[in-house]
Amino acid sequence: MTPDKPYDVLVIGAGPAALSAAIYTTREDLSTVLVEKGVVGGLAAITDRIDNYPGFPEGVTGMELAEDLWKQAERFGTKIEYGEVTAVDGKDKVKKISTTAGEMYSKAVLIATGTDWKKLGIPGEDKYYGRGVHYCATCDGPLYRDKKLVVVGGGNSAIQESIFLTKFASHIDLLVRGDSLRASEILQHELEEVKDKITIHFNTATDEILGDEKLVNKVIGTDKKTGEKQEFACEGVFVFIGLKPTTDFLASSGVERNEFGFVKTDGDLRTNIDGIFAAGDVRDGATMQIASATGEGATAALKIREYLHHNRA
Amino acid sequence: MPKHIAIYTTNTCSYCVMVKRWLQSKNMIYEEINLDVTPERRQEVLEMSGAMTVPVTIVTKNDDSKEVVVGWNLAKLVPAVA
Repeated sequence: MTPDKPYDVLVIGAGPAALSAAIYTTREDLSTVLVEKGVVGGLAAITDRIDNYPGFPEGVTGMELAEDLWKQAERFGTKIEYGEVTAVDGKDKVKKISTTAGEMYSKAVLIATGTDWKKLGIPGEDKYYGRGVHYCATCDGPLYRDKKLVVVGGGNSAIQESIFLTKFASHIDLLVRGDSLRASEILQHELEEVKDKITIHFNTATDEILGDEKLVNKVIGTDKKTGEKQEFACEGVFVFIGLKPTTDFLASSGVERNEFGFVKTDGDLRTNIDGIFAAGDVRDGATMQIASATGEGATAALKIREYLHHNRA
Repeated sequence: MPKHIAIYTTNTCSYCVMVKRWLQSKNMIYEEINLDVTPERRQEVLEMSGAMTVPVTIVTKNDDSKEVVVGWNLAKLVPAVA
């Protein structure tokens, strides 16, 4: 698409909020493109099991839910381009979106990039990424059959993914920085069922990941109460210490973000820039639930339709 | 069109689905080595890619040279299969 023939809607991201919005906009015959740098379905797609998304009484795997949302969006003509958005220029009526796949133009933009895993920022983490350091249990967990693992984190994701990893690992050392788990009660009950395979180390800082230059072989931690250094022998480390919004590409856009980088919107999901909207986990105030994200995607689509109607040439 | 394309995958890997769907969209035939089905082939991933992760795509060109693409990485996959 060119400046004189822009898309009606360009959605940055292809997670649940983006796909939900696209289902609505394409059904309204608005030309819609999604630009995705990673996996269609976003973090939901790499989640082992989703038990709280309505309509699935037995739960659903993230991969299945993502595939179904993808197929549904494609059914109505949604187009997905693979590339990374590097800048958004929204000052004119036709917005210019710079991507690694080229420049794109659209009358309205929906930011639905969601969040990504925070890194520990410790020695060895980057060096051994993909060689023992992982952020996707559903992808790489099966490579660790009968091996010892370390999982870092104490929230819902860390516990859910640890439970998933017990299907493969011989044992998991779970390193928790605080003195208790932040995971939901239901997940903590599920954790009880696999407690013979998981040792929880509270008040433990994760300091360094070491290996033999090819692969990881241990993690060094510190007991924060005694100051004592601890070694955890392992072949893999899975890190789930929280999420950060994927909004670096907005740095020069003028789109307002909060102090953590989440995009600020009003009640109609409009950002401070006319014609640019935001929905899902990337939005300031989001509840970080897939059900909420799909709802916000639908709301954003309806608000975008209104915007396009009022601004038609 | 390359001589052969092999992808190392696991059952629950969404990034593997992305690579497979993209190759399918280009009408490219590939061999899938599912490490949930054949876990004994795990070591091949490390030996061929230097990584312990999936997906790993091995593209054998017509002159028998090989290109290895780790992960869902179109910037590397597109030239590898050209």
